[in-house]
Amino acid sequence: MQQPLESRLTAIRIALTAVLTAVVVVFTLIVRVPTPIKGYISLCDVVITFSAFLFGPWVAAIAGGVGTGIADLIGGYAQWAPLSFIIHGLQGLLIALIARSKAGKDAKLLLMILAGVIGMLVMTGGYYLAGGFLYGFEAALVEIPLNLMQSGVGVILGIAVSKAVLKAYPPVRALAQ
Amino acid sequence: MRAMLELHHVGFTYRSYGDTQPHEPVLREISCVVPRGKRVLILGLPDSGKSTLTRIIGNLIPRFVEGELSGSITIDGVPLHAGKPWDLTDTCTLVAQNPQEQLLMTTCGDEVAFPLESLGIPREVMVKRIQQTLARWKLTDMMDVNPQELSGGERKRLLLATADAVDAPLWVMDEPFDDLDPAWRSVLLHRIFSGDRTVVVCASRYMDEFRGVFDSCYFLHDGILHHGSEEEIVLAFDQAAQAHVPVVESTQESDQSSKLSAEDLVIVHPRRSVSSAVPFSLSVPRFSLTTGEVVALVGPNGSGKSTFSRVLCGLDPYVSGSIGIDGNHGSREQLRTSVGYLFQNPDFGIFLPTIAEELIWSLQHNPAVPVHQHRAIIEETARLFRLRLEDNPATMSYGARKYLQAAVYYILDRPFYIIDELDSGVTYAAAFEIVSLLRQRGAAVVLITHDHTFAKNIAQRQYTIDEGKLYEQEVGL
Amino acid sequence: MTTSTFIAGKGVLYRTDARAKLLALILLCVLVFLPVSTGGIWILFGMAWVLAYHATGFRQAMQPVKSILFMLIIMTLFTPFTYREGTVVLQLGSHLMLTREALENLSILMARFLSITYLCTLYVWTTPMADINLALRWYGLSYRAALVLTLAFRFIPFIADSFAMIQDSHALRTSAIHAGKKTWKRKIADVVPTVTAALVFALKSIPYLAMSLEHRGLGRLQKRTSFRHLPARGGFLFTQMVVSVMIPTVLWVLFT
Repeated sequence: MQQPLESRLTAIRIALTAVLTAVVVVFTLIVRVPTPIKGYISLCDVVITFSAFLFGPWVAAIAGGVGTGIADLIGGYAQWAPLSFIIHGLQGLLIALIARSKAGKDAKLLLMILAGVIGMLVMTGGYYLAGGFLYGFEAALVEIPLNLMQSGVGVILGIAVSKAVLKAYPPVRALAQ
Repeated sequence: MRAMLELHHVGFTYRSYGDTQPHEPVLREISCVVPRGKRVLILGLPDSGKSTLTRIIGNLIPRFVEGELSGSITIDGVPLHAGKPWDLTDTCTLVAQNPQEQLLMTTCGDEVAFPLESLGIPREVMVKRIQQTLARWKLTDMMDVNPQELSGGERKRLLLATADAVDAPLWVMDEPFDDLDPAWRSVLLHRIFSGDRTVVVCASRYMDEFRGVFDSCYFLHDGILHHGSEEEIVLAFDQAAQAHVPVVESTQESDQSSKLSAEDLVIVHPRRSVSSAVPFSLSVPRFSLTTGEVVALVGPNGSGKSTFSRVLCGLDPYVSGSIGIDGNHGSREQLRTSVGYLFQNPDFGIFLPTIAEELIWSLQHNPAVPVHQHRAIIEETARLFRLRLEDNPATMSYGARKYLQAAVYYILDRPFYIIDELDSGVTYAAAFEIVSLLRQRGAAVVLITHDHTFAKNIAQRQYTIDEGKLYEQEVGL
Repeated sequence: MTTSTFIAGKGVLYRTDARAKLLALILLCVLVFLPVSTGGIWILFGMAWVLAYHATGFRQAMQPVKSILFMLIIMTLFTPFTYREGTVVLQLGSHLMLTREALENLSILMARFLSITYLCTLYVWTTPMADINLALRWYGLSYRAALVLTLAFRFIPFIADSFAMIQDSHALRTSAIHAGKKTWKRKIADVVPTVTAALVFALKSIPYLAMSLEHRGLGRLQKRTSFRHLPARGGFLFTQMVVSVMIPTVLWVLFT
């Protein structure tokens, strides 16, 4: 008799959230891709998008928010921690609400892209607003191109990586219910 | 007198995913009764299901891993299916083979404290117990240190300290003597046999220290738990370990032989160890490796075997000296192209859904092979390495993943290979086979190991690392 | 990879309770946005800087400035030119003009940014993460949420090391003799395989983590006890909390 995995187990959800948070931290701090315009983009948005598609709003919001918050603390940008927490948390939440996989079926590509674009707007807009309060709206404009690029890459790679992980590691669906 | 642990007709099959062939049951017929206060040894080859069995006893499978479980398990008179894993916290302690699977916290003190907090033990008592057990396992200085900064042996001792602190009447230990120095092994043995605890020890090596000490011995093979006298069990175990040793095919003599050599190398390890103030440094006066050879690289844990290997394959830089191929200086990129390094953990390279795709991907990075030959090559490679092309790499057994790792490198056709700790985790027979397969095209193989017997049986030459220096020695010392 | 945010040093902040400091931090950050005099905020920044200097020395105390230097420069370049009306201080040609209001605006923005940066940084330098965790719990964060935080910190070095080895393994596998194009184009191509492998690796550890949590008692009905606790160091907690409220209030009154 097959025994189903009760994936809503508290321990699994705690473990899942914690590990994904750690992955977001690592990808924010260590995984950096150089861009043609000067500067680096971090791949945290890839993980946040991935978490949102596969694991839903709660996990994505916490992994995204707490993960980027911790990364800011460790990276020496403590003043950004509460702001990143809200912005990336919201990003993860919205992407998941729009395009989360349900009952083993993935969302349609178009929906994923739509969710990703909304995520991009939230992330870029959020940092623009936050930056506006911290150091003025004029100066905050400067970060918009890089943020758009980072979140855009995050969406594209997030979709690609989600599909790749689902194929490479089928048991992930059991974690996702 | 109630038995501590009872297993009746336990069987388990892992769930298969996708289109792959359904898995064979890993456990078929496991029955045994362990009376209170007895110490029991279960011998089993790598991948025979020992870890699965320990987790079943902990009521963790199939709760966290999908599959079919049959039979019944009873601990101290209470059947497992009636309860949850946390009911066993003060009754049964598991000690995992890989500490990374069990470590939870960011300091050693917190790690030992976690189960005590779960049990509701008052703080004053808790603090005392933690201090005592950390002292017993010589980890007192590590109270506020992150376990991630400890060595493998220290992490194992941390797991043992945690088990000690909880002080459950039943211990189920999966290869607990792994990673421990001989001195600590005696401490562990002493701990196992003191008091009236019931202890089940699973092992894939029969050590001399085991002779005559256990109350019962079992042999786990092909999913069946065999009982017998110690001599019978050890004999059956040895015979099974020797079986399937392939005929070592003579290596094709390459027209050209190639030589990798290092002279006056000085390597400084960037990461400092927690317990030493001085950065780690290794000196290599002379090292040479010619294609076709099998060379062992031995040394105690932490001596620098992996550090040296990483420099040899171009991953890390060195401070002074030179590394050359056939007399010409080798740049790091050239070294990466000529020297393949098989990490001890085979999972670092897995990212594709099937073995076929993993092998083809490797082929695409070997420019010497024309595309129309790809399919034939991967089929031949899969046959040689006992792999099924449609299997999903991430859900295969550990042994199969090691074979896949070797197959990936076989396709890359490097002249030199370094294999890190092959003999831990696969049978001797499998290790022999993997080495012979890699040597088939004339490549040289460096085997990193801390098992001197294994080195003696397989290598023609040996290098030893000791006290920061690498030098050649007679094989097997 | 170091996950420590704490920097050892000296000063009263190291002896203050984490909960009181958090309250003071929040109130001071609010103060910075209230309608107070610009000079007042600069003084607040000055005090924060002095505390940082006393705690960790000059070089470390200048680190936050270094980390936001780029933004400070951007602010200086862009912000002043948004104010068109007002008393002109400097005029270059017919389009570029610098007004006094613009300079005042720049001044208050910089003071705010620097103050908030230093206040947050000081908190994190002088309070170990474990204490911050306990402080958050005291303020109402659930045990489970605090546990997620601790577990995340436990896994960060593990994931970081594993990722480094995944990249190494990948580099060895893709090393080709004609290594011409190993520029950013190749780095992009490497991203999907290494990220996928890293995620699979991380996902595989989740069931084991969950197993260990339940095996070590998470889920038991009895109340958990706690190994670590926050004693109020350097005085009663109540007094510290009162001081934490008083200091921002006094400053607010002074600077309005």
